Amino acid sequence: MNKFTLATLTLALSMGTTLATLPAFADTAGKKIALSNNYAGNSWRQAMLTSWDKVTGAAVSSGVVAAADAFTTAENQATEQAAQIQNLILQGYDAIVINAASPTALNGAVKEACDAGIVVVSFDGIVTEPCAYRIAVDFAGMGKSQLDYLSEKIPDGGNLLELRGLAGVFVDDEISAGIHAGVAENPQFKIVGSVHGDWAQDVAQKAVAGILPSLPEIAAVVTQGGDGYGSAQAFAAAGRDVPLIIMGNRHDELLWWKEQKDATGYETMSVSIAPGVSTLAFWVAQQILDGATVPQDLTVPFLKITQDTLEESLETTQAGGVANVEYSLDDAKATIKSSM
Amino acid sequence: MNNVTLLFHKPWIWSFIAVLSAWVATIIFTGGLGGAGLAQAALTFAAFSVIVGIGQMFVITLGPGNIDLSIPATMTLSATLALKFMNTDGALVLPGLLIALGVGLAVGTANFGLIKLLKIPPIIATLSSSFLIQSTAIWSNRGLRIKPPEVLTDFTTSSVLGVPNVALLSFVLAVAAYFILMRSLFGRWVLAIGQNMRAARLAGVPVDGVRFSTYVLCGVLAAVAGYFLASFSGGAALNMGTEYLLTSIAVVVIGGSSVAGGNSNVPGIWGASLFLFLVVSMLNTFGVGAGVRLIMTGLIIIAVITLAGGRKSMK
Repeated sequence: MNKFTLATLTLALSMGTTLATLPAFADTAGKKIALSNNYAGNSWRQAMLTSWDKVTGAAVSSGVVAAADAFTTAENQATEQAAQIQNLILQGYDAIVINAASPTALNGAVKEACDAGIVVVSFDGIVTEPCAYRIAVDFAGMGKSQLDYLSEKIPDGGNLLELRGLAGVFVDDEISAGIHAGVAENPQFKIVGSVHGDWAQDVAQKAVAGILPSLPEIAAVVTQGGDGYGSAQAFAAAGRDVPLIIMGNRHDELLWWKEQKDATGYETMSVSIAPGVSTLAFWVAQQILDGATVPQDLTVPFLKITQDTLEESLETTQAGGVANVEYSLDDAKATIKSSM
Repeated sequence: MNNVTLLFHKPWIWSFIAVLSAWVATIIFTGGLGGAGLAQAALTFAAFSVIVGIGQMFVITLGPGNIDLSIPATMTLSATLALKFMNTDGALVLPGLLIALGVGLAVGTANFGLIKLLKIPPIIATLSSSFLIQSTAIWSNRGLRIKPPEVLTDFTTSSVLGVPNVALLSFVLAVAAYFILMRSLFGRWVLAIGQNMRAARLAGVPVDGVRFSTYVLCGVLAAVAGYFLASFSGGAALNMGTEYLLTSIAVVVIGGSSVAGGNSNVPGIWGASLFLFLVVSMLNTFGVGAGVRLIMTGLIIIAVITLAGGRKSMK
């Protein structure tokens, strides 16, 4: 009797779990998802690929999807990535998740994929082809949030040095447009210098060192991520007081911030996009394959670190890496819902 | 008078005239402020371009088709492996440097192996080897920024009597390169091969040995530059060498060395490296946008090369 109850209970429980999971997973267990990535040569992209491996690896072994393979092109060129996407079509993937080298140059290949019945989800580097889904980052909002913070922190305003990214990339234009919009709203701030740091600490350090001798007193440095630590080094090397520098979630930036905070009570904030956004794209693709209704355009939240959350973020960030968040199926559902 | 005319016949003089013009133009714009700071920054950052530029110059001197495209990847790999090995331990600075040198040696050997044994043109051989090197660096580095030992950071960011240590180091290397190129048998051989490889071979120059040593030298210098750049900029990162590919070639050409080989000079590399930094700083100071800045940089470089080239043909 006892045994019987236990058995029924187990059966009921297992049926319960099956019933709970079945509707979400049943249709995608045989599906194959590919990641088409255009570049792997910096810490952000490496973290993005690691997150992808971690989350999709678990999803494959638990049978949510049949495969989730990542492919990265060698040369960061649109033509090469277009050829790669054509290969993925021939290999019979059901969905392709893309971080694109160009918003427009891949449209032909993306259209071919859509025509072949493949779900295409682009993220971070999005594509404009209407048949594809886009998980876009509100880069302009990210730029503007820096001025929102500064107007509270330094109400009197002052001179700003703007660090830009890689010239000619739309992300750079977007973030900068957001920063300039923020300055227009807060006229007590004035951008007195602008240099391109290419989102790399050593390039930023070089560019700032070059312009610094000619600049007046700087109240704050607005940045795009991956350039805050290099800027701080350049200020220190020139023997100038280090102003408030907005950071970009890199481990060396957070560590430097922590050291300054402990030594002098230095205050700033840090904002960037979590590389784990690739996993959000994965779950969105899985949801579309599962038949869920998903709008073509979704927006990812930024990952912001404040004076209070600094220690916690520093602890969870791998030494030399970048602060990260991996997204779950529920996060994807929430994102889809909020974009409806 | 005679000496001055002689000086103006030197192909490298134009890069130094350009350096002075860019510096003066910037200082005039700022109303005399920050001249010393700018000069110091220029010396610091030019130092790294000079080190890779010397290596590239020796390779380019070997004659048409000789070029090393694996410099950025070599910088990244040597810095990654060396800094990883040292693991911020100041006592391991020398073994770390040896590891970096070893990487340079291996890369140079592999490059020449591809060129000689598989008969692949240098541009393809070094490009493909750079993929292998970069992939190794990615595999070893995993996108993390690897911190240098404190003592190396201090060394690379300090100066003696206002002159940055890295600039002193580069200056010593440049003087050595000058004597090797202009005064040593090896340098003469490199120039002879660049002017006519067949004639050099017939004259008894050990062509293969010299080419091999030159590619190794280039790899080693790239490795040294990577080692010190990573120490200077706070750590080895995967994209740290990217901008040094074009820079290494540009400083050779702007410095007045012949891109067809067989006719090179060392002082021009210093002039060109300082100039490349100052021209960007000047345009940034003027506040011109990125598009205009790139166009202006291109035009100014063309102007300097034309001037340097024009002088040479008059000779």
